[in-house]
This record gives sequence, C-alpha cells and structure tokens, in this order.
Amino acid sequence: MIATNVRRLGFYLILAFALVSGSMVWWQVIEAPALASRSDNPEVIAARRSLPRGTIFDASGQVLASSSLVGDLSVRSYADPAFTHVIGYSSLRFGSTGLERAYEDLLVGRADPNPIRDLLNDVLARTPQPRDLTLTIDRRLQDFAAAELGTDPGAVVAIDPTTGAILALVSTPTFDATPISGDPDAAQEPMDALRADPAQPLLPRARQGTYVPGSIMKVFTGVAALDAGAITPETTFSDQPAQETQGFPVQGFTIREHDLGGIQPALWPLSEALQVSSNIFFAHVGLELGGDQFLAYARRFGFCDPMAIGPDDRALSVAASYVTNPVEGDCTPFDDDVELASASFGQGEVVVTPVQMALLAAAVAGDGVMPDPYVVRDVRAHSDTGTPSDTVLDRFASGGGTRVVSQGAARAMRAAMVDAVNGELGRLYAGQGDITLYGISGSVSAGKTGTAQLGGEQAPHSWFIGFAPAQEGAAPSIAVAVLVESGGSGSGRAAPIAGRVMAEYLRMTGGN
Amino acid sequence: MRIAWRGAELRLLLPILLLVPLGFLVTNVAVTGTFEPGPMQLAAVYVGLFVVAHLVLVLSGHRGDQLLLPAVGAMGGIGIVMLNRLPQDLAGTSALGFELGMAATQVLWFGVGLVAMLVVAIGLRDDGILRHYKYSWAAIGILLLAATMLVGYEVNGARLWIDLGPVSVQPGELIKITLVVFLAAYLAETRTLLTSARVRIGFISIPPLPYFLPMLALFGVVMLIAVRLNDLGTALLFFGTFLVMLFVATGRRSYVLIGLLLFVAGSFVAYELFGHVQARINVWLDPFADPLGAGFQPVRALYALGRGGIFGEGLGQGLVTLGGNLTIPFVHTDFIFTAIAEELGLLGGLALLAFAAVLVFRGLRIAALARDDFSALLAVGLTASLGLQTLIIIAGNTKLVPLTGITLPFVSYGGSSVLASFLMIGLLLSISHRTQIGTDAERGE
Repeated sequence: MIATNVRRLGFYLILAFALVSGSMVWWQVIEAPALASRSDNPEVIAARRSLPRGTIFDASGQVLASSSLVGDLSVRSYADPAFTHVIGYSSLRFGSTGLERAYEDLLVGRADPNPIRDLLNDVLARTPQPRDLTLTIDRRLQDFAAAELGTDPGAVVAIDPTTGAILALVSTPTFDATPISGDPDAAQEPMDALRADPAQPLLPRARQGTYVPGSIMKVFTGVAALDAGAITPETTFSDQPAQETQGFPVQGFTIREHDLGGIQPALWPLSEALQVSSNIFFAHVGLELGGDQFLAYARRFGFCDPMAIGPDDRALSVAASYVTNPVEGDCTPFDDDVELASASFGQGEVVVTPVQMALLAAAVAGDGVMPDPYVVRDVRAHSDTGTPSDTVLDRFASGGGTRVVSQGAARAMRAAMVDAVNGELGRLYAGQGDITLYGISGSVSAGKTGTAQLGGEQAPHSWFIGFAPAQEGAAPSIAVAVLVESGGSGSGRAAPIAGRVMAEYLRMTGGN
Repeated sequence: MRIAWRGAELRLLLPILLLVPLGFLVTNVAVTGTFEPGPMQLAAVYVGLFVVAHLVLVLSGHRGDQLLLPAVGAMGGIGIVMLNRLPQDLAGTSALGFELGMAATQVLWFGVGLVAMLVVAIGLRDDGILRHYKYSWAAIGILLLAATMLVGYEVNGARLWIDLGPVSVQPGELIKITLVVFLAAYLAETRTLLTSARVRIGFISIPPLPYFLPMLALFGVVMLIAVRLNDLGTALLFFGTFLVMLFVATGRRSYVLIGLLLFVAGSFVAYELFGHVQARINVWLDPFADPLGAGFQPVRALYALGRGGIFGEGLGQGLVTLGGNLTIPFVHTDFIFTAIAEELGLLGGLALLAFAAVLVFRGLRIAALARDDFSALLAVGLTASLGLQTLIIIAGNTKLVPLTGITLPFVSYGGSSVLASFLMIGLLLSISHRTQIGTDAERGE
C-alpha cells in the first residue's frame, strides 16, 4: 500500500524535475539571445569596460566617436560636442545613452547583424567583433547649424523629405561627453556639474524638449483641413476681416489677432492668411475641421505617442507631442471650441518636439507622405585607421513613409508656404527664411514662422519650419525645423537660421 | 562484524572523485592564471573524506544503499569546485586558530557531516529511539525554533541564525529532521484510521479530526513560527514535505488537494497582509520592472543563466565579479546553482539535477522496500525534504517560483545545511541497511 503510493509520488516528482528542467531550457536556450543584448547585462557592461568599441563616423567618413585602451579600461572619446545629443555617451559609470545605447550590442560586438553569423559566433564562442556605424548626418551641416544657434538654447532638425535620412539633429546647449566616458572615478565631478547647470545641457532638446509651437502649427491645421475638404485654397470667412480688429467670440471667449504691424485686414484666403499668419483665419479653419477630425489628423502625423528615429529596436527616442492636455498623456478630446480654436493656431494646450515639426514640414515637402526618420546609415566591420571599412554589413534604409494627406492638399499648402516666405505680405514675416538671401539663386524656399507666446514676462519661443528647393517642379531635398527657446519672434531669430542651414545644405550637395 | 564489500559504490565514487581535483585544477588556472598547490590539497582532502567514509562503511559491514554516497559526492563535488572558484572571502571561519577560506570551511563541514552520517548510518541499530519519542522530537524542534525566535539574529530580513561562539548555526535545518521523524511516527500509527474512518462533509471527505488534530496543531505551530521568522522558504519546504508524507501515508490525493488549496489561500492572505511577501511576489512576477533595485538579484541571475547557454562559459570563465563587486549577490548560497549553470551551461545544470534525481529516486526505492510503515514514511519524508529543497531553490533561480532563501543541499555554502543533509543521508542508509538485513534473515542467511 505504501509502496504503491511511493511509486505514484515518484511519478509526480518526475513531472516536477521535468518542469524545472524546462525552466532551465527556457532561460539558457530560448531567452538567452534576448538577455544577451540588454544593456544592463553585466556581460555587456564588462565588454564595455575592456573590449574595443566600434567607431562612429559621420556621413563623410569622419570619426565622431572612438575608443582606446587606457590600462585595461576601454575609454571612449568624442570628436564633436555638436553630436553629443545624437550619439549620447558610453560611460563606465553612468551607462549609455543615445545611439551608444541603441546600438550597444553591435558596437561592442555582442551581436552580428546577420542572424546566421550571430548564431555561429555564439556556438563557436568567438571573440566579439566590434562594429562601426556611419550616420546619415554630415558633420559640416551639423556644425554649421550648431554654430548658427550659438550659445542660445534651442534645436535644429533637418531631414531629407524623400528618404527620411536625418541631415542635422542639433540641440543646444551641449557638452563634451569625453570626460564622463573615461575613468569611472573621474567621471562623477563633470557629471555633477552638468546636472547642476540651470541651462540643462543634458537635455536633448530636439528630441526630448516639448514646446508651444505657435503659428507653425497653422501648417498642420491648414493641410489637415485641405485634405478633409473642410476648406479649399480659395475658402474665405466673411466675418474674418472685421474680427481681425474686433476679435472673434467663441463660446463667450474672444480670440484676438496678434499685432499685424500696420497691415490692413482684408478678406484673406489660405495663402494671404498664412503670409500674415492670421490667427482669426486659422481659428475658423480649425472649427470648420472640427475637434474629432483635428485629433484624428494629429494622430496620423504622429502626435499623441512617443516617436522614434530609426527602427523600433534601435531607436533614438523622441518625446510625444500633444494637441490637447499634455498632462494626461493621451490626446483626450478638446474641452471646448475655445481650446480647439487656440490649438488651430498653435496655442492652447499644444506642445511639440522639434523633430515632430520637422516631420510636418517633410510631409508637406514630400507631397503628403511623412517619411520614417533614421540616422544610422550602415553598420560596417571595425576599422582602426580612422577611415571607415569598405565592408558594409548592414544598411539601414528608410522604411518608406506614411501617407498622411493627399498630394493635392500637400501641394496647396506648399504653394501657400512658398508665398509665406516670398510673397509680398509674407516677406514681412518670414522673408528671412528666403535662401536666395544666402547666395542660392534659382531656388526658393517654403516655410512658416512661429512666435509661441508663453504668457507672463517670458519672451516667446522663436520657430521656423520649412523646406527647399520649393519652386514649381523641384523636389525638396531638405526640410527643417528650427527652435530658439525664448528667442523672440520667429522671423527675427529662427527664420534666418533655417534659411542659412537650407542654403548651406544646397551648397554642400551642389543643388543650387 | 563481517566486512561487506561495496563494489558499486566504489566504482561510482572513483570517476566522480577524480573529476573534483581536475575541476580544482581547471578553475585554479583559469581564474588565477597560475598553478597553486593550496587548493589542490583541499581537493585531495575532499576526495579523501569520501574514500574514508566508503571504507568505514565497508569495514562496518554496512549493507545500505550504494548509490547515495556517490550521488552526494557528485553534487558536493560540483559545489565545492564552484565554491573554490568564487572569491574566498565571501565566507569562512577563523575557528581553532586557523584562518579558513570559504571552500576550506565547506570541506571542513563535509568532514563533520560525513562523520555524523556514519554515526547515524552505523550506530542507529534500532529505530525505537526515533519512533517511541516522537513527541519529544517534535518538542525539540519547536524549542529550537522558539530559541531562534528569542536569541537568533537576522540576516537579510530573516531571523534564522543562533550564534554559538565559534560557529553560527541555523536551527531550521535540523528541525527539518525532527519534524520528519515526528510526522513519520505519528502517521505510521494513525494511517489506518486516517484512511478508513473518514468524515464526509457533502462531497468532500476530510480526515477524522480526533486523529488528525494533534498532528495538525503541532505542525501548525512550527509553520507559524517559521512564517514569523520570515523564513518563507523553510515554511514552504515544511509544508511540501508534510503533504507528501500525508499522501504516501493515506494515498488520498484529495488531502493533498485540500492542502494545496489552503496553501494558495494562505499565500493570498499573506500577500494582502504582509508588505515583504507582496514585494517578493511582485519581484518574481516582473523582476525587470526594477532591474537595479528590488529585481537586481533575480535579473542578474537570469543574465547569468543566459550567458551560460547550452554549453556554459567554461569552468572559471564565468562573470562572477564586475569591477570588484559580485555580479550576483549571495552567489555562494542562494544562487550557487546559477553560478554552476553559467560556467557549465544547461548541460552542467541538468547533470546536477540528474544527481539530485538519483538521490531522490534511491530514497523512494528505500521507502518502497522498507519493512515497516515507520521506516517507509521516514524514508519518504527525508527524501521529500531533500528533493523538494533542491527543486524549490533551483526553480527559484530560474524564476519558475518566487525566490526563497533556502540552500541547495550539498552544493550551497553553509555548515548547518551540509550537516543536516548528511544526517538525512545517514538515516536513509540506516533504514536501507535494516531492510537488507531483514531480507537476508528471511532468506535464512
């Protein structure tokens, strides 16, 4: 009797042993590859300490980040602080950020882009081979844009509207990441200083800064309303001329125009309204579009959720932009028409990242297709010589893009944005974004300024979004968003920076 | 007393014990880069202890099971190779004028444990002392626990230790044995009644309470104290052992089922009531939620398992320290299995599990062949205790169950654990010996 029970117990114990064996197989075979690439895996940390780490090159093959052995420590040094907010840092003390984090396993050679080779390396226990990265950014344009911003806090984002390749991604102020990436004991002091700096140099403003957009948001409102059929390029609002001076009452609240600087109000269609940046006109457009549609288009353009530069598993993170209640974190419906009307000209509860606004410009430039941005062009075999290896292991191309509005809507907005820079009225506001001012002949730019009122005594944020070349028949090769924190009017600070950056890019690529 | 040759035991011990010095040699060279004679002497002592134990069994004419000692030697061998490979200042003793590192201390305890095993295996001619004083054994167990509660000190939030001058002991380890002895004696007496005289409540039949309650009361006191001491692993082990013994004594799955339901309900109540239980369950469910805080240890353990993969990183090649700190805190006790699976891989881990399985199934065989109910139930209880302890801690390492701070028998560092485990092997050997003698007598030898 007891012997029988013991045999039955034996059977259950066999099951228990099998179950425990199964859990071992789970972690040691099935989950092992996923565990190996996590950046807090001690093996990755150890590899970072002692193994050579791949070099990061700019688009023209110049070294941006490289590693050398000091004693038995692998120490990282960075050539150009203008890239700190793209590349991040790889610190033995503070972990890694930016591309250093996203590409950790490839840079230290813990993974191979080719899955078969990856498996083979694992089975044969080969020594990790570091990999090099090449960016889509040319150092010349990045440095040029950084110099344009100078010591002002702000951001410049430039993107190829066709491919989604990032051409410049500048956040200022920046810092030299080399001191915090070397000897772990010496890294604490410079990091403490950076953390204590009231200018917040550790914040990658282009990706993680969220700002009131002001009038650049009118590009979104307009193109969405055109696509939805809520307006046409010829649509006018009969009450608008009078409301420019008397104000536009919405649900008991009066929306007022900004200082038109002596321009006489008239019955303005889209082009003129964009040229003078009429809040009243775009409030009407937004109400015409309606809150639900406004939110639906915002989602299509990538608002409401965190974004990413690069493929999802190797992304530079971008904070979410919101058109309503950013505190609640999801695009909740508009509280009322006042909020909707305000959002339509970029005030109210709207907050955006410079990257999101550059993608908005790129979508208009790209005939309604918003590109998927990426910043790492390829992965190569490691090279010690200071020039990239010829062995390209993996090439990251654009994943295409998303059609957000029709070609017709995008073309109509493009024409209005060309006028906003070059038109008779537009020159008063956005003329500094004209690339011909900076030595480019035969091409024009399109764009829109923004002067984001912050309330109180704070000076407004200065914004410009645009693209070039934008004349009839040309395919735009660069779309930009420029932000200068509390930089005053969009025309005064951001527009000339954007114009010069676009002009510089066209010069570099011989595309004038 | 006639000499009894134990050929199988010797043949199985030899290859296992040859591998231990080899393991010392490999880890030694891999970790330090040079050959040092010190650890090799330690390996020789380890091997010598088992050879001597074998010879004593032979000379005393012991007829007990011949697979137990080799299985223990193998588990302990893997353990001592790994303990010798870890930083030696993790633990140790400075007793008797000697300064001993961790591995040396562990070998010392193996010596003490083997002696204790031999004393029990050979000296315990008659099980009367166990059977007739069952309430005394239970009382001793409860007193030991109560003593821990009163004069014990805490390590990592659980009060398990009593300081006895040169050594600290964990009474919980020894209570496992007295508790099993009590339960075996009690169940052997009452199992017929427990099986036949059932009380039906609707569809459920429960054991007759007058026979059941005394055992339940005593057992309940032990469980309460264990939970009070925050020693959840030991409480779980006690409870599992109890259910296994109850099942074997009565053959009723329903009792086990009711027990498991009670356990689930109790766990739920504990989860709602106690912050530390809640924290531990949450860490178990998602250790990656806080990989640098509460989840640090389990996450690091999972990484180590992943690094090991199928074939392991190789003896001495594991990532034990990083910048001077252990990659897994408490690697020598709670996470010794993980360290082994990192360096020897899935295959090494499975081998260790296989040795444990040999131990368990030999233990069950001893129970099945035993000539009386008490011996059978005692063997089942001891086997279940060793087996469940092994399964619970390994499953805790692999995140199959929440982690509890119990040792891996014969492998983890810790004198109390080693001593208690060897005492249990000694009891199994003595039961097996008496069975064999009895069988021989029947055959008229």
